[in-house]
Amino acid sequence: MRKDWDVIVIGAGPAGLAAAAAACDAGAGVCLVERESRPGGILKQCIHDGFGLVRYGEKLTGPEYAWRDIEAVRRRNIPIWTETFLLELQRAGDGFVLTMQNREQAVFQLTARALVAATGCRERTARQIFIHGQRPAGIYTAGTVQHMINIQGYLPGRRCVILGSGDIGLIMARRLVLEGARVEGVYEIKPEPSGLTRNLVQCLQDYNIPLHLSTTVTRVLGRERVEGVVVCPADENLRPLPDRGRIVPCDTLVLSVGLIPENDILEPLGVELNPRTGGPVVDQRLAANVPGLFSCGNALHVNDLVDYVSESGEIAGRAAAAYALGRTQPPNHAELVPEGDILYAVPGRLDLAAGGKAVVYLRANRTIGNARLTISAGDKTVLRKRYPVLRPPEMERIVLDLADLPAGAGAVKLSLRGEENG
Amino acid sequence: MANIRAVQKALDALGIGKLEARPWRRSVVLEGRVRTWQDYIRAGYAAAGKGFKGVVNDIEVEGLEREREYIPPVRDNTLEGKQFDVIVIGGGVIGCAIARELTRWQLRVAVLEKEDDVAKQTSSRNNGMIHPGIAPARGTKKLHYNILGNRMYTQAARELGFALERCGSLILLEKSWYRLLAPLAKQQALQKGVDGVILLSRREVFRREPYATPAQRGGVLLPSAGVVAPYDVTVAFAENAVENGAQVFLHTMVQGFAMEHDRIARVLTNRGRIRAKVVVNAAGVWADKVAGWANDRFFTIHGRKGTIAILDKKTRAYQSGVLAMPRLGSKAHTKGGGINPTVEGNLLMGPNAVEVPWREDWSTGPEDMEFLLSRHLPLNTRLRPGDIITYFAGVRACTFEEDFVVEPSEYVANLVHAAGIQSPGLAAAPAIARDVAEMAVKLLSGVMEVRPNPRFNPVRRPNPRLTDLSLEERALLIRSNPAYGRIVCRCEAVSEGEIVAAVKSPVPALSVDAVKRRVRAGMGRCQGGFCTPAVLDILARETGVPPTRVVKGRPGSELVLAPTKEPGEGSADA
Ligand SMILES: Cc1cc2nc3c(=O)[nH]c(=O)nc-3n(C[C@H](O)[C@@H](O)[C@H](O)COP(=O)(O)OP(=O)(O)OC[C@H]3O[C@@H](n4cnc5c(N)ncnc54)[C@H](O)[C@@H]3O)c2cc1C
Ligand SMILES: Cc1cc2nc3c(=O)[nH]c(=O)nc-3n(C[C@H](O)[C@H](O)[C@H](O)COP(=O)(O)OP(=O)(O)OC[C@H]3O[C@@H](n4cnc5c(N)ncnc54)[C@H](O)[C@@H]3O)c2cc1C
Repeated sequence: MRKDWDVIVIGAGPAGLAAAAAACDAGAGVCLVERESRPGGILKQCIHDGFGLVRYGEKLTGPEYAWRDIEAVRRRNIPIWTETFLLELQRAGDGFVLTMQNREQAVFQLTARALVAATGCRERTARQIFIHGQRPAGIYTAGTVQHMINIQGYLPGRRCVILGSGDIGLIMARRLVLEGARVEGVYEIKPEPSGLTRNLVQCLQDYNIPLHLSTTVTRVLGRERVEGVVVCPADENLRPLPDRGRIVPCDTLVLSVGLIPENDILEPLGVELNPRTGGPVVDQRLAANVPGLFSCGNALHVNDLVDYVSESGEIAGRAAAAYALGRTQPPNHAELVPEGDILYAVPGRLDLAAGGKAVVYLRANRTIGNARLTISAGDKTVLRKRYPVLRPPEMERIVLDLADLPAGAGAVKLSLRGEENG
Repeated sequence: MANIRAVQKALDALGIGKLEARPWRRSVVLEGRVRTWQDYIRAGYAAAGKGFKGVVNDIEVEGLEREREYIPPVRDNTLEGKQFDVIVIGGGVIGCAIARELTRWQLRVAVLEKEDDVAKQTSSRNNGMIHPGIAPARGTKKLHYNILGNRMYTQAARELGFALERCGSLILLEKSWYRLLAPLAKQQALQKGVDGVILLSRREVFRREPYATPAQRGGVLLPSAGVVAPYDVTVAFAENAVENGAQVFLHTMVQGFAMEHDRIARVLTNRGRIRAKVVVNAAGVWADKVAGWANDRFFTIHGRKGTIAILDKKTRAYQSGVLAMPRLGSKAHTKGGGINPTVEGNLLMGPNAVEVPWREDWSTGPEDMEFLLSRHLPLNTRLRPGDIITYFAGVRACTFEEDFVVEPSEYVANLVHAAGIQSPGLAAAPAIARDVAEMAVKLLSGVMEVRPNPRFNPVRRPNPRLTDLSLEERALLIRSNPAYGRIVCRCEAVSEGEIVAAVKSPVPALSVDAVKRRVRAGMGRCQGGFCTPAVLDILARETGVPPTRVVKGRPGSELVLAPTKEPGEGSADA
């Protein structure tokens, strides 16, 4: 069956932009679909710097970083359907049909041989972490605050409490102070911060914003607008100790309590998701279990550096092009099984037929010292690595050459062992 | 027969201090002091069922903080001297349904609502179930209006254009010996007038609900049970009332009556003194207070809070209709609750039932969620705590008689009560409204000629909703108005056009929460994280106020407080 496109990329954030450019360079006819009015994804609102150190060796702001990818897409004349909303996604024959709507074309359909889902993530909300009280105005996720300040030019609050020490929360703490708001503190239920060290230093310490570990918010006070929050210490099992709660007056509660990959649109296709990452289970080509479907960026798993997001986009884009142009073999999969102190690893399986090099991203499930990572197949160890310290917020990237695997390898083991309190 | 000594004896037997009962008109008044709210409640129930028309519980509770009842911050004279034939106090589902019924006649009808929108209190804080009528006891008004109301919903939904899904309710039996009682239950249900009762074996239950708890030993299926979106229903009644000539005044609180002999001469509000020939009390949790201003407080309302959790839409596939498993022998008011679908395609879990001294405290607590998780979640084995996207609480307006009060006042010549409308008040609303409107018209007939309204149109044309349209209809709509082409709320797929239409509708949505109740923007998985900023800008543009004046709900709930240091700059376009 003829298709409108070899590859359609859903989402024009850094992952999708990189995927489209890579697919084009591999010879595929490709287009992008984006529901917002402009490409760039979440980077549009990340006006702080620190992006691009790995990929460009430069410190860029989010919009600057995105601009380079947008230019790359423009140079290749890859069309982007913006403000275009996906209504239905279906498999049809050896490809996909996308039913969409926008202002100009009303409702229309596009078909493609391969699909790259680069839909990013959404933020966890106050209700999902069970904060109680009434529902006054002034409870926002960090991303919403970032959008209000950096895109719309609105100051959402003057006296803020930040819950969760994720990177966006830390960055917004600083941003709010720069806009003249007071930040009463950052509260983190875990005994360790979840953001990058560089953000702890540059966003909190440099601005004298206190960080309270093993402490959480259990209740919001106020009826119309937030008037305060109840903060409570938490025990080792992360259970709040309500008897020791105290009130912190504030007018805004900012939540930075986690990101959830957005893959809801893929559910009708019967995609297999990894419960640990929230993203599809993929192989090293970032191919999901649905033939022709590829995943990358934050929709695959939540990244802390955009540079790796772009890398995954390139991998997915190239692989999608190869698939669409009929340059791939039927896959021969071996599971990649994480063991020991690993929180998660991506990919979840290796396609031995495709061969080549596999980029493996992984996170430790706790802070560990003197950590040893081994990759083995049968009784052959194919890769060994040592880390003085590993922390869950910092993702590790390793490259595995599939040529090193013994022929006919069944499961490949990825094992991490370290010492407590490294 | 009313027996004051029996009441006194029952109070004394509680052993919670010196309490006194005295008869007043046909009711009984309780006085004294107790230590806890629970004691106050026990005293009220001890006095009920002893032959009096109502229990007026004036017992004080030591050290109990008085509730900060919401009073709209508006004060003006816009309604001073205005005259209406009927004033309905309260813009909940009951008040709005009554107003719409009244517009069948040529009358000047006004609904006074103190909140910033209709359906702000209990009428948007419930399960949205159109109960089949199996629960209320025989001989009660609850039963009478529930059965009738359930039947009337089919026509109401058709005329007013709101969604009604008769998904049926399945009451699971926990122990096998309950099955012996099942035929008895069936006979009872039929005597009560419930439309359809089917007994199911354990296997049949699993065929209908494959994920029902394995603890079930069979069930009773009530096909007439349905679900609606309660705020949709309330808005629909209100809008049709307005289309037929009624007026809805928001931010307008009744704060007293000026009485002349046995009549309410003027209704006193924060926006002026209004004249009305007849007054309808549909004030929800405050109906006893309203009755008191006319010296007609023959019942007491006490709040019973219920918490409800909303589950992600993907769970809708795991259940076909309502599931409940009452525990026989457990405390009376904690029996209920379960898991029910919504017309929007979610599942709801709950409610629980907790006696609370505050009627407008809709806060939730960890104990409520623990109850729902331990009691209701296991009814469906596929559900997980992580499926919960949000939760909320509502307060039922209960009397100690546990029945609705739907009647003209015995002592005030121009007052009709629709009070104590706790569950199944939503299900009963159309039937209550019809009777109350008739009562009001009867009272009016004494002082004026009441003629049918020749222009009454029962049919409301609701604003289009993209998710209800076929792809062809959707395309047509977008071509006629491209604003429908731009999706603002991505979780619920709500367009800018729908939001603008809600702002311009007969009962306009003027806050972020009002928009949410009309079109569901912000009700999905991300709970408004993405769309709130966009809705804020649309509201500012369409209502012509600066963004810093756009509110979440009531005045004082502004979303953003000031422009940033360099307004307009800092845009990512740079
Ligand atoms: C609020 C926030 C702040 C962040 N701040 C930083 C930071 O400071 N530094 C850092 O290194 N990383 C940050 N990150 C982490 C992340 O790595 C980003 O750097 C990066 O933008 C992720 O890229 P992405 O392309 O996967 O997703 P996104 O940038 O989120 O892009 C996804 C795109 O897909 C579109 N889309 C989604 N679904 C659909 C659909 N159904 N149809 C059409 N289009 C769709 C979205 O509109 C969006 O444009 C942040 C993440 C978030 C959520
Ligand atoms: C948790 C829970 C679950 C429920 N589930 C169901 C169900 O599934 N099915 C069902 O049938 N029923 C259910 N109910 C009951 C149902 O919600 C109520 O019976 C119904 O909403 C009552 O409507 P109302 O109009 O009387 O009250 P309300 O909606 O409370 O309306 C009264 C209005 O009067 C206004 N008001 C009060 N005082 C004044 C004043 N002085 N001046 C001006 N305005 C005033 C208030 O602001 C309010 O808006 C449930 C209730 C709860 C709490």
